[in-house]
Amino acid sequence: MPAALQFSSVSKRYDSGYEAIERISFTVAARRFVSIVGPSGCGKSTVLNLAAGLLSASAGEVESFGEPLAGLNRRAAYLFQQDALLPWKSVLENAQLGLELRGMAHDAAHDWLRRVGLQAFATRYPHELSGGMRKRVALAQCLAVQPDLLLMDEPFSALDIHTRLRMEQELLDWVGAAGTTVLFITHDLEEAIALSDEVLVLSAGPRSHLVGRYEIDLPRPRPLLDLKTEPRFAEIYKSIWHDLRGEVVKALGGDHQGGPAHG
Amino acid sequence: MARSLNPRVLAGRIAVASVFLGGWEAGARFGWLDPFFFSRPSAVVARVWLQLSQGTVWPHLGVTVVEAALSFLLGSVAGIAAGFVLGRSRLLGDIFGPYIQIANSLPRVVLAPIFLLWFGLGIWSKVALGVTVVFFIVFFNTLKGVREVNPVLLDNARMLGASERQLVRHVLLPSALAWIFSSLEISVGMSIIAAVVGEYLGSTQGIGYLIAQAEGVFDTTGVFAGMVFLAAFVLIVAAAVGRVERRLLHWRPRPAEASNV
Ligand SMILES: Nc1ncnc2c1ncn2[C@@H]1O[C@H](COP(=O)(O)OP(=O)(O)OP(=O)(O)O)[C@@H](O)[C@H]1O
Ligand SMILES: [Mg+2]
Repeated sequence: MPAALQFSSVSKRYDSGYEAIERISFTVAARRFVSIVGPSGCGKSTVLNLAAGLLSASAGEVESFGEPLAGLNRRAAYLFQQDALLPWKSVLENAQLGLELRGMAHDAAHDWLRRVGLQAFATRYPHELSGGMRKRVALAQCLAVQPDLLLMDEPFSALDIHTRLRMEQELLDWVGAAGTTVLFITHDLEEAIALSDEVLVLSAGPRSHLVGRYEIDLPRPRPLLDLKTEPRFAEIYKSIWHDLRGEVVKALGGDHQGGPAHG
Repeated sequence: MARSLNPRVLAGRIAVASVFLGGWEAGARFGWLDPFFFSRPSAVVARVWLQLSQGTVWPHLGVTVVEAALSFLLGSVAGIAAGFVLGRSRLLGDIFGPYIQIANSLPRVVLAPIFLLWFGLGIWSKVALGVTVVFFIVFFNTLKGVREVNPVLLDNARMLGASERQLVRHVLLPSALAWIFSSLEISVGMSIIAAVVGEYLGSTQGIGYLIAQAEGVFDTTGVFAGMVFLAAFVLIVAAAVGRVERRLLHWRPRPAEASNV
């Protein structure tokens, strides 16, 4: 089975001249859960946009399920970092949007709203919801189309710790059952370790590159509630944090490469 | 969702009208204002009533309404369509942009005689004039609305599988609707003004024609009566547009304290 995603020496230089990422290579095998962590502004969303086909690489190649990406990645669903619900559609209409656009039956959307705990808000409009509730609607919208590849950009950072834990657990259960491949972005290393099979660490920008790749060998299924107190979890955390820490220090201004390089 | 009017606002409005009309009436009666030039509110009301009861005004009002409605419809449909096409295509926008600016800078009043030559004294010369006014108002607003759509909403819909047509229907049109509606409200008034100006400059029917006739014989009361009909007409149509707008934009958060000006 071909990899769900394959980045081969991918670089991205924005029109402004800013070189966000440089020569990044990694593989996300089908049915795997891979997370990317890195300091703010290092290029995590850039990588995700490349995987979605919303951006095209300046150099290198992005393949998805064995085919080079040209245009949008049709097998992927994308949970954006920013608010992406349509303000003029109700919660239910938003959850159904993907199904409606693809001419599929709408019934599944109800089910997904229930699973994210928002069936009571089906007729409300996005401006009547909290930020975390909107994120959950967006999650239902993505999952309703049953994608092969799920791209998630900091989906849970707006949630309180209880809702967050519940959503994380549900996400693991859903993607495990459906066999969905996930590329997950977070700035929370604990979350990355708890959810993933593999964690990729990006360096601080500009010209961000991969500084580490860590196989997470915690057994599945994972009961998240108690996971973080396990000794193996702490071990993994320590080894990754050692590398990440260096990048965070750089991003905070440890050197002067942090500014945009216009040219 | 009827908006109840604040009683203080209502009282204030009535006070303003009373002072204005009362002052005007008193001024005319006590000789501060020459009734020949200024007429009087009571005479205007009497004339309005006379024209209504005799039915002489209806055919003229009908003609003006048809002209305004046609120019409003044609102008706004064309303006919305052009706004979408040029808003979505950088290339077409760049090609046609300067020409549209040039066309928009022409003063409409100088076009009126040309349209009279081209389309004759009937309604079509007035419709043409109205379309040139309405089109640009709606076009520029639609263009702005389409170009200011949140790109994340577009990306999200495209990732979910939207075709260009579905993007227009689900994202671009609703997003631009607030802009389009604010232009439609202005366009209603402008289409009526254009119809009346067109009639005033050359026609055989319509409110503008009535006003021109009254002016020709220095019948100020008749001129004011014509204006009353126009004002009533504009208020009714604007209220209707406002209703449609509130229906279509019901998803928007209610503004904290909507001013009605
Ligand atoms: N359209 C663009 N044009 C120019 N530069 C951009 C553009 N988009 C992003 N960048 C720059 O690229 C770098 C990476 O941005 P990106 O959004 O990928 O960061 P990120 O890792 O997702 O950050 P965060 O964790 O804060 O979301 C940033 O320095 C940003 O300023
Ligand atoms: Mg980001």
